[in-house]
Amino acid sequence: MVPLIGNFTLWLSLIFSIYQIVIFYKKKNFLSIKLDAIPVYGLLISSLLSFFFLIYSHVISDFSLLNVFQNSHTTKPLFYKISGVWGNHEGSMLLWILVISIFNYFIFKSYNKKNYSFISIALETQALIALGFILFTILTSNPFEKMPNIPSDGLGFNPILQDPALAIHPPLLYMGYVGFSAVFSLSVAALRFHNNENIYWYNYMKPFVLAAWIFLTLGITLGSVWAYYELGWGGWWFWDPVENASFMPWLIGTALLHSLITVEKKKSLQNWVLLLGILAFLLSVVGTFLVRSGILTSVHTFALDPYRGIYILLFTALLGFYSLTLFKLKSKKYANNNRILFFSKEGSILINNILMIVVCSTVFLGTIYPLIVEILSKNKISVGEPYYNSTVIPIIIPAIIIMGIGPFLSWGKENKIKIIKKIIPSIVLTFVSAMLFFFFYKSYSFTGIIGIVLALWIIFNNLTIVFQKKISQPYGMIVAHLGIGLLILGITGSTVWQKEKIVRMNINNEININKYNIVFKEIKEITKNNYVALRGNFLVYDNKKNIVKILKPENRFYTITQNFTTEVAIHTNIVRDIYLVLGEGNKKDGWIVRVYYNPLVLWIWIGAFMIALGGIISMNSNLRKAKYL
Amino acid sequence: MIKTQLNKIPLILFLIIVFIFFYLLIIDRNPADIPSALLNKKAPEFKTESLLKNEIFLSENQFDGQITVVNFFATWCKPCRDEHKYIQRFSNNTKIRVIGINFKDDSEKTIKWLKKYGNPYSDIATDKNGLIAIDWGVYGIPETFILNSKGIIKFRHVGPITKKIYNKIDLVIKKIR
Repeated sequence: MVPLIGNFTLWLSLIFSIYQIVIFYKKKNFLSIKLDAIPVYGLLISSLLSFFFLIYSHVISDFSLLNVFQNSHTTKPLFYKISGVWGNHEGSMLLWILVISIFNYFIFKSYNKKNYSFISIALETQALIALGFILFTILTSNPFEKMPNIPSDGLGFNPILQDPALAIHPPLLYMGYVGFSAVFSLSVAALRFHNNENIYWYNYMKPFVLAAWIFLTLGITLGSVWAYYELGWGGWWFWDPVENASFMPWLIGTALLHSLITVEKKKSLQNWVLLLGILAFLLSVVGTFLVRSGILTSVHTFALDPYRGIYILLFTALLGFYSLTLFKLKSKKYANNNRILFFSKEGSILINNILMIVVCSTVFLGTIYPLIVEILSKNKISVGEPYYNSTVIPIIIPAIIIMGIGPFLSWGKENKIKIIKKIIPSIVLTFVSAMLFFFFYKSYSFTGIIGIVLALWIIFNNLTIVFQKKISQPYGMIVAHLGIGLLILGITGSTVWQKEKIVRMNINNEININKYNIVFKEIKEITKNNYVALRGNFLVYDNKKNIVKILKPENRFYTITQNFTTEVAIHTNIVRDIYLVLGEGNKKDGWIVRVYYNPLVLWIWIGAFMIALGGIISMNSNLRKAKYL
Repeated sequence: MIKTQLNKIPLILFLIIVFIFFYLLIIDRNPADIPSALLNKKAPEFKTESLLKNEIFLSENQFDGQITVVNFFATWCKPCRDEHKYIQRFSNNTKIRVIGINFKDDSEKTIKWLKKYGNPYSDIATDKNGLIAIDWGVYGIPETFILNSKGIIKFRHVGPITKKIYNKIDLVIKKIR
């Protein structure tokens, strides 16, 4: 029954999306908002229902559905039964469609008599995007496909995916990716309509850019948190193609966010913003293509199906060709010859924009380079950390330096001496505290020094703004920028000064890592609902022989799926993490134990969440502005 | 800001990238062509129940003397159904032995499935908990290995066998011979 209804609502959303395209296509006049609302609400409700039905099938473990059978299991906890809905390809496509419909609804919210010609183009485009993904789902990835016969239990029980961070990470990422669909639609609308009504299209775009960017920031952060706590590799970012696929739209989104401010204030950079608006979404879809087509192999690769790849690529090509051709033909109308001064707020934003684009292209090149090499030479290579570290970091450094000064500059002409006076305190503070830092820490490395100086530079500049200026502060920006400062601090600490030891340990053996002494006390076997585990007890002593913490890493064996996972044990404080992984072993030879000393990791999470928080604060003020549109 | 002449650059770059991706999808490259660590090595040995015969399936008895196609399959996997006709074609060739490994599946259901779609396998090993698949480094179901008459893995394909892949495997088999 449920599969039938699910299929029905899925087809219904297809019909509503076509209906929406038809009624908003070349809308000549504004008749009735109620009539125009039908497809928008219809799409929202039908996609919500099909998503709900899939959740329901997973909750009641209805194994007559192929999707439930492959991805669920009766012994799964309820929470993970639900999160399993979007943990697989087909289910995630339903979520994807739902998010498109939600953003579609929010575009419609601003629809009125004054702006109807502009918004209707955006709604038409948004419905086109929805149609593309609904068709994709129905044709190649229907989650309501039935099983030929009903099995007694499911297959899916990937314990590594059963983690709270991972349960909410994909929805947040999708909200981010798909949020850019609204930005895309609005960009297309801005290019297509005749702006004789003088509509400030960028004011409509800002809340969507912010929303997508906030979700993307949170999604990426949670993904890293998961990788750090669950994978047990001691790191939190691996330059995996899928991580890159989320990082690229984030970079474009960041550039877009900043250049939108310039458009608001100075009306310059308008066509640049439109281009970024288009690219942000295209990159999101290309990222999805890379993951779902199986063209690249990565830890995230979903089920391999060549048709999916061809479909998504065709659809991306269509969207890209359409929007970029429009851009080529129509962007002239937004061109202006305002000269942008190098030493001004818009100048600093523009330079940082360009640097973001360069970083994005670098990451893009690194991601697809193995494919290009394969075409040309038939060799399989992989591009990893060394490439990204040696290309991305040098480009980021000037961007960070400028980011520190940017907020002090004013729009248009700027008095250089005044600015220098303003930033002297933070220059002094930065260097004094950097020297203090290294005086106490006494571990010098070139990248370490640069990282710390840059982090302090951002932090002190923003603190200076808080203390120096008037009340009308863009607090969102300050919080987000402070977050970047803390993030750099954390990244520098955890990469430059990370220490790693891999040893074979027996009971009562000791290991030393950075002033800490870790004693392997005992190992116990424990049995839980769906796994058995070996749990080690490790006492962590500091250099005064006080016990800091008892760490209990586990080595689990899940009986249903017959796979092993490791449960990392971590002790966190504001200066460092002690990260312990229990590997294979036995009583006779001992166990392989990996110990990491990861400085300042906590600040990565704090920084990243502050960046998102800054976005949320700024969202608040932008929504207030949007009310008057 | 952007000079009008530069307007077409994004479009051109985009088209180039799309073209590269298309090329990659269309050419005879498959992402499934994952170099196996087992290539040119002896196939991992195992012992399990046979699905068709009432006896123990011993891999050492099954994998020598003849070229062998080893096909990991399951009834719950749709692509397995799609590739089934090609597996059948292999079994029509009397010089090849076709062995199935039934991955995480229900035996009764498998027998029914084979009755419905035909049985190309001369014997089927059951891999109820997926441990054989782990030993063989199986990436996803379906997956197919070609072993020479000494039981050495010569070819591996991840994913369903299509016409193209069938022809390729055919060539590989001719070469081994």
